[in-house]
Amino acid sequence: MSEEPSKRVMRISWGPQHPMSGQIRILVDTDGERVLNIIPDLGFTHRAIEKILENRNVVQGVVPVERMVMVDTANNALAYVRAVEELLGIEPPKRAQYIRVIICEVCRILSHLYGFGLGAESGGGYPAVFLWSTADREPFLDLMERITGTRWSYSFFVPGGVYRDFPDKIKDKFLKTLSYFEKRLETYRRAWFENKIFEARAKNVGVLKPEDAIRLGAAGPSLRSSGVSLDVRKNEPYEAYDEIDFKVVTLPEGDSYARLFARYLEMVESVKIIRQAIENMPSGPYRKSVSPFKRLPKGEAYARVEAARGELGVHIISDGGFKPYRVKITSPTLRNLYVLSQLPKISDILLADLPVIMYSFDPWYLDADR
Amino acid sequence: MYTLNEIIGSLTKFIGNLWQFIFQMCMSLAPVLFIPGLTFILLFVTVVIWFERKYLAHAMLRMGPVYAGRVFGWLQCIADFLKILTKEIIVPSDADKTLYYLAPILLPIVDGLAIAFIPVAPDWVIFRGFGYGLPLFLAIVSLGPLCPLIAGWAANNKYTVIGSLRAAYMCIAAEIPLLLSAAGIAILAGSFDLVDIVEAQSKMWFIIPGFLGALVFFIGILAEAERTPFDISVAEQEIVFGWRTEYSGILFMLTMMAEYISLLAWELLFITLFLGGYKGPVIFGSPFISNIAWVLIKLGILTAIIILLRTVFPRFRLDQAIKIGWRYLIPLAIANIYIAIIIKLFFPFVV
Amino acid sequence: MKDMIKKLIQPFAVVFSHVLRRPHTIQYPYERLVIPSNYRGRHVLDMEKCVGCGVCARICPNNCITLVPVGGRRFKHPQIDYGRCSFCEMCVRYCPHDALSMIDFVELSATSREELIYPPQKLAEIPSVKEALPQLKKELTVEVTESGIRYIRRKV
Repeated sequence: MSEEPSKRVMRISWGPQHPMSGQIRILVDTDGERVLNIIPDLGFTHRAIEKILENRNVVQGVVPVERMVMVDTANNALAYVRAVEELLGIEPPKRAQYIRVIICEVCRILSHLYGFGLGAESGGGYPAVFLWSTADREPFLDLMERITGTRWSYSFFVPGGVYRDFPDKIKDKFLKTLSYFEKRLETYRRAWFENKIFEARAKNVGVLKPEDAIRLGAAGPSLRSSGVSLDVRKNEPYEAYDEIDFKVVTLPEGDSYARLFARYLEMVESVKIIRQAIENMPSGPYRKSVSPFKRLPKGEAYARVEAARGELGVHIISDGGFKPYRVKITSPTLRNLYVLSQLPKISDILLADLPVIMYSFDPWYLDADR
Repeated sequence: MYTLNEIIGSLTKFIGNLWQFIFQMCMSLAPVLFIPGLTFILLFVTVVIWFERKYLAHAMLRMGPVYAGRVFGWLQCIADFLKILTKEIIVPSDADKTLYYLAPILLPIVDGLAIAFIPVAPDWVIFRGFGYGLPLFLAIVSLGPLCPLIAGWAANNKYTVIGSLRAAYMCIAAEIPLLLSAAGIAILAGSFDLVDIVEAQSKMWFIIPGFLGALVFFIGILAEAERTPFDISVAEQEIVFGWRTEYSGILFMLTMMAEYISLLAWELLFITLFLGGYKGPVIFGSPFISNIAWVLIKLGILTAIIILLRTVFPRFRLDQAIKIGWRYLIPLAIANIYIAIIIKLFFPFVV
Repeated sequence: MKDMIKKLIQPFAVVFSHVLRRPHTIQYPYERLVIPSNYRGRHVLDMEKCVGCGVCARICPNNCITLVPVGGRRFKHPQIDYGRCSFCEMCVRYCPHDALSMIDFVELSATSREELIYPPQKLAEIPSVKEALPQLKKELTVEVTESGIRYIRRKV
């Protein structure tokens, strides 16, 4: 830790014992109300996931990985499963790819709803929209219960496909839930995004210019709301994303309002993706069997997916044993946290803006610590 | 010697006079004890805390207190009150002990003393103020920002110091528009006495000619009583709980009570100045009960609106809130004074 | 100006319209959600089908299954430690004889760690919700309609 600053500057420990800090300790140097420096201090939730994965074979390994970010489970599991499939050299059948896309997009909606709620609460007060968005996750969780058997951490993906097929009559439930959800999105827009005081709080706050976003390495909606149009689903399409028509949400302003609004627009896009995938789902087999008790071929593989918070990559190195030799996971929150720590140097931040900016980056410290 | 009859006669007269004397003392103490005095204030605080929890809960699509008291959980606030009384009072080791205990004790007193000037019926007011009720009310309530300063400084903690300075900035920025709009109403009514102001609203409530003043006063209430969107000194998401962070037990309860008592004081002033005080068509039989009932009805509606604002809006940043106070509210309040002067000169039939 | 008024009044109206709706609360343990039948809750072991092959113990990611002998039976049977179980369903999927299955019973709290280790005899019993929750009065199903989420309550 750097040494104590001079007498005029006050160092506040925005610590783990704070109503709005998450599971992290941030040291904030302030001079009056202006923030001079932000020093994050990670590690409160380190669970050694990468080390655990060295002791699990490729079928068991999905279970620790998907618990990295619990709201957004399927995207993490998908990254690991795709890396293993590239290592083994197999390709899942078409129906399995569509099922995976649907589950991943539902997880994206769930994660953005939760992040939206927290971003709304960070502005202050106890807004009703926070609890509405938590309640609106319920229909989607119900759908996931019927398909996979549980509400989060599905362990539904396996190298070679998915474990089970969709049950019958799930299509009607999907369409009903999606039309209900589109109406609720309208309500959120009218209650929160067209709210004068929220605009006063979040517009022109924590502005991130495009060059800085690329130089510092932002990821996910934080990058795309600064005007840079990079999305793994369009640049390197995986699963069935090349057969589905959707837009990449890009906003030019780069302030906290744009970051939160970009997540809202991504939810609208996800609803379109799910609708198209449900309509065009091909029939056929849903799994190619892979035995967990065989040796892995020697080699390396890298796969990346667009998780809800940004680009998540999994790098597997295997030396021919039953279990991988090393698994390295790159986390989007760690990259966004670095951007946050450099933000006082490139724009003016007040102490009162700090929660709004932090939660506009939508951090989930469990995947920064892994 | 006196006969037995004379002794009994004078004893009866003496007891009669004594009873008369005690009865008159009680009648003049009734405003202090019952309404708008101590019982009313404590009942209001209890009911408002319960109402806020239930109301906000239903706005957030959940139930509030349900179990304590079979129906609606109405015993919950009493249960919380008793629980807080039994908690330990923790004093930080490097705090200034006298000031630490003094601030939460002073706070409800300063805020609640101003309620003494509010009339609930034409002759039912605790202290009329010799004809200067309105300036006395505003003078006493302007001592309000002193106590958070004392509390924040005494607790010797970074978060509390920031919170107390924010409270001071906020209250000072909000007071001037409040004074100016109250001055406009005093011009319209022609007197500083609160009972005269209420009587002057017999034709129409002052919210209609003094509309700008009512708007400024309403926003000023939110800022002065520190309700969302102006509860900056208690910004829980940023500075944990502002100047109230270190308090626990009964001292904490006193600070919570003080917030609601100051809200009550300002709401009663708003009703007196703009909404016609106790005036209204006679309901419930006698005019005396009808006056009190009208005050309660108007108080209830105003409280419901102010409480719901907590769930709708986030809070302002300090510099935005001060900018609103100095840059936008003061010109509107001055415009209100001009309008009041014009109405008084050229349209005297309105008042 | 008009825009500012609309942006201040409209959120208030939207929030106020929610005060009059039914809340989303499920008052557990007096009410309980009806969970779909393929939910991953507690295991149920069919001792006649189980031959003690041990695939479940090898595939479990958290090492919670051990095979123990059961008095009077020929094979060893699995004993599951619910303190470690992550309910991932791998043992059920990979059992070659379909001896393990999961039902929708989730009331698994205990007062000591030793109580959480379920021996095979306890896994073979099918639990009943009424015994675990004696105060249960109603059960709910979630229904999503165009206008909102409704809970349909039925007496148990």
